Amino acid sequence: MTARALSIVAISAAAACRAVASEPAQAAPYIEPPWFKPKIATGVLPPIVLRLPKAPSTVSFAGTAKKPGRYGGSLTMLMARAKDTRMAVVYGYARLVAWDSDYRLRPDILERFEAKDGRIFTFTLRKGHRWSDGAPFTTDDFRYWWEDVVHNKVLSRFGVPQALLVDGRKPKVEFLDRHTVRYSWAKPNPYFLPALAGPRPLYLYMPRHYMQQFHIDYAKKKFLRKMTNNGLKPDGWAKFHRKRGRMYRFQNPALPTLQPWIPTTEPPADRYVFVRNPYFHRVDRNGRQLPYIDRLVFVIADSKIVAAKAGVGETDLQGRYLRFTDFTFLKRGESRGRHRVYQWQTAVGAQIALYPNLNHKDPVWRKLFGDVRFRRALSLGIDRREINRVMYYGLAAEGGNTVLPRSPLFRPEYREAWARFDPARANALLDEIGLTRRDSEGYRLLPDGRPLEIIVEAASEGSEYTDAMRLIQDSWRKIGVRLFQKNTRREMFRRRVYAGLTQIAMWTGLDYANVREDTPPLALAPTDQVQLQWSQWGLHYASKGRSGQRPTDPGALRLIELLRRWEAAESTAQRRTVWHRMLQISADRVYSIGLVGGVIQPVVVNVRLRNVPETGIWAWNPGAHLGIYRPDTFWFATPPGAAD
Amino acid sequence: MSGRAASPPGGPANERFVSEAPFDPHSIEALTPEQERYYLAGQWKLMWWKLRRHRIAVFCGGLLAFMYLCAMLAELLVPYNMAARHTGHIYAPPQAVRLFHEGRFVGPFVYGLNYKLDRNTLQRTYTADRSKIQRIRFLCRGKPYRFWGLVEMDIRLFCPAKGGTLFLLGTDRMGRDMFSRLAIGSRISLTIGFVGVAISFLLGIVIGGLAGYYGGWVDSVVQRIIEVLRSFPVLPLWMALSAALPVTWSPLWIYFGITLILGLLDWTGLARAVRSKLFALREEDFATAAQLMGASPRRIVGRHLLPSFTSHLIASATLSIPAMILGETALSFLGLGLKPPIVSWGVLLSEAQNINVVALYPWLMLPVVPVIVTVLTFNFLGDGLRDAADPYK
Repeated sequence: MTARALSIVAISAAAACRAVASEPAQAAPYIEPPWFKPKIATGVLPPIVLRLPKAPSTVSFAGTAKKPGRYGGSLTMLMARAKDTRMAVVYGYARLVAWDSDYRLRPDILERFEAKDGRIFTFTLRKGHRWSDGAPFTTDDFRYWWEDVVHNKVLSRFGVPQALLVDGRKPKVEFLDRHTVRYSWAKPNPYFLPALAGPRPLYLYMPRHYMQQFHIDYAKKKFLRKMTNNGLKPDGWAKFHRKRGRMYRFQNPALPTLQPWIPTTEPPADRYVFVRNPYFHRVDRNGRQLPYIDRLVFVIADSKIVAAKAGVGETDLQGRYLRFTDFTFLKRGESRGRHRVYQWQTAVGAQIALYPNLNHKDPVWRKLFGDVRFRRALSLGIDRREINRVMYYGLAAEGGNTVLPRSPLFRPEYREAWARFDPARANALLDEIGLTRRDSEGYRLLPDGRPLEIIVEAASEGSEYTDAMRLIQDSWRKIGVRLFQKNTRREMFRRRVYAGLTQIAMWTGLDYANVREDTPPLALAPTDQVQLQWSQWGLHYASKGRSGQRPTDPGALRLIELLRRWEAAESTAQRRTVWHRMLQISADRVYSIGLVGGVIQPVVVNVRLRNVPETGIWAWNPGAHLGIYRPDTFWFATPPGAAD
Repeated sequence: MSGRAASPPGGPANERFVSEAPFDPHSIEALTPEQERYYLAGQWKLMWWKLRRHRIAVFCGGLLAFMYLCAMLAELLVPYNMAARHTGHIYAPPQAVRLFHEGRFVGPFVYGLNYKLDRNTLQRTYTADRSKIQRIRFLCRGKPYRFWGLVEMDIRLFCPAKGGTLFLLGTDRMGRDMFSRLAIGSRISLTIGFVGVAISFLLGIVIGGLAGYYGGWVDSVVQRIIEVLRSFPVLPLWMALSAALPVTWSPLWIYFGITLILGLLDWTGLARAVRSKLFALREEDFATAAQLMGASPRRIVGRHLLPSFTSHLIASATLSIPAMILGETALSFLGLGLKPPIVSWGVLLSEAQNINVVALYPWLMLPVVPVIVTVLTFNFLGDGLRDAADPYK
């Protein structure tokens, strides 16, 4: 879809919204959630008509299996760490613009948006939209973020966020009135809208009325001194501003938000409770304000026992921390009658992928991993069929790390490139490189006489990765490559990759199930330090050459060049061409070695919970896991302890 | 002498009368030959007699001997190689060995397995196919293996029928035979105790002996070291030490590394026991006598003092072997000790530590049984030995 087409869709969607919204507002008055009735009776909260925007976002359920629901209940989920409170933002999925279930961008918090030539974006806010504490949400909050946060050197050390830069230039931002704001660049910015719709969104706004009390330019000095407790160091206030203003971390109950549920628990805690936002901007077609469910409860449990707890019904909705291997156990628990297990699809291009480190510190290894024949040989030396049979009941799709068949960009040859088990061919390739000397056990030796021992590192819990390594270990034996496995902690794992110490890293594949031509193909080119096969090159790109190393591999350079072409492309057709070129290069040059894809993601759902789709895609971006299925529309058929 | 003993002719009888009858030590209480044997028996013999009366200890000793023999011959006794995967039989339950088919004696056999994948629950289900009678073959030729990693062989005590399967204890998530893994894993689990105890013995006796014999500042230093070692939190220490073992080490080296770690941490208790015993014994007359005769300290400790409480040492060693076995199991279970592809009981157990196993594949928890049995038998045997070590009681 081009940006122009996007804007048309957006406008028509917004128009539809308004048309639908204004009608029931007169015909059927909004229905007050019982949760707020005591507060309204005491006058703490205004009635619903005053709380909703003039034109709320009306969810029609048309064309889906969802049905309008009823109020009440408490949705319990299991989380492993206090950091997981952010999942309430991910699942809540209130965004300026958001992906809908067909992966199209629609206005959500915005009433509408216009994108002209993919470079001028005009956003219109909903009149009467309020923060969760009742203060109006206006362009002033955008202005605060842009002028007082982004342009404050102390608060934003790294300056303007990457997604707002085109060729290193920041946008022109105009605050046209209280409800209209415009961002414009000289050239198209295809990253802008997807960044706003991401699971971890780019926030363009901040609640000025709350945050400015911590801001040096606005705060009463006395108050700040009291709060920071140690006098005013030059940047002491900034720490405080940052700490109280984490909109994604979502742990400050006082921080106003636009999400459907607002936090009430400050860490540390074992149980995080989120309650419904009285000012949330979505309503259903019957005039019920969303969310249906009053409370969201995160219970903290070790990630290893999440499956055990889910199997006995200690969660109402769970996909996080559940793996394919837990499926049978969870399914068996269905007989208790507390939950059902849905078979969703994981959205990663490969459930498990190997990332040879092209930036390895050791020159011999670096040369080897940089040799495309070596990577191809390693890929050919993996018996994917066996892995599939042993670990996934033969139900997964064997092949490389590429897009899934669901994507319009999928082609079978990407998946099959260098992915069939062929030890003879792999051996021929390795011999061709010159790795012909072998030790007494038949393992090959490096050119400098060291044994060809590859340590594959992973940061995994459970046996999935180690089993895969075992199987690869045996099949690589046939090509004279010895594999050792090493399991480390996640932080350690990343640090070792960045430092160029890891030889091959094992991680999930591309998170690219639903890519379209307009999805930025960032993950295919070296653009980020977190890319395990070329973290230094990625850092080089991300830091605009300030740190990291300049890519040397011709394929990687070509991928960066193609990415630039994608950015500059003006039509969907051009973008498609670029995408295919990039997919083809990645598959042919085997920068990551995928094993299998299309594995089932178990999702445990309370039997009384409605509107959770039975089949779905467990995707991070775009998808926000449950986010695009809008958990605010889920409801309990008979909430426990609540009268009908 | 005899001249002095005889009375002088004609003289009065000496008032200090010395009987001329030959001395008979049994004149008051005659010892039966049994008693004689008993009092004249050496320390070891006495111990053995005493131990023999401890029925449970004897039985346990026999059982242990059998287990070690099995561990030694493990490759001969198992039907499969421990790493052999049967991808068509993943999570197969144990197959029962039967003798009779429909009332007719056919000798030891198992029914074949039919495999079905339940698409709804994604569970592999196996049913015994009563039409497939797979007779177990004995003293047969199976897949070749290397006995002790040295000699190429293919003789096995028993094998599955041709084209059949024989999973006495089921298979794991990769279709590996649990019985074979358990039997071969016993080699590591059983010997790690011995090797570890040997190391801790050596250290304990030498260091404890020095401290006990010399006393003084040597003793003080040793005691302080021991106190420091004992006050270390064990788990983090294990973690640090096992993290220090490089991943590219061969399984054998890792194994020795782990035993070394276990041995290095375990000697302190023994050293204290040796020291306190020596403190008491070095004041004994025979020690002083040896000293006066000019024996070297090493000879005094080694020849005179240590043998006085060897039996005690043996008993305490027997009791510390199960602690070593449990230590290995615990370390491996936590993922700090041995790691696949090495197989030990602890490794097997660590692979069984998830909810799926408990709920769906309980046979994977079977390695618990030999661990319990071994530890119990060692404890009973050690108990008997300790009683026997003090034979005059």
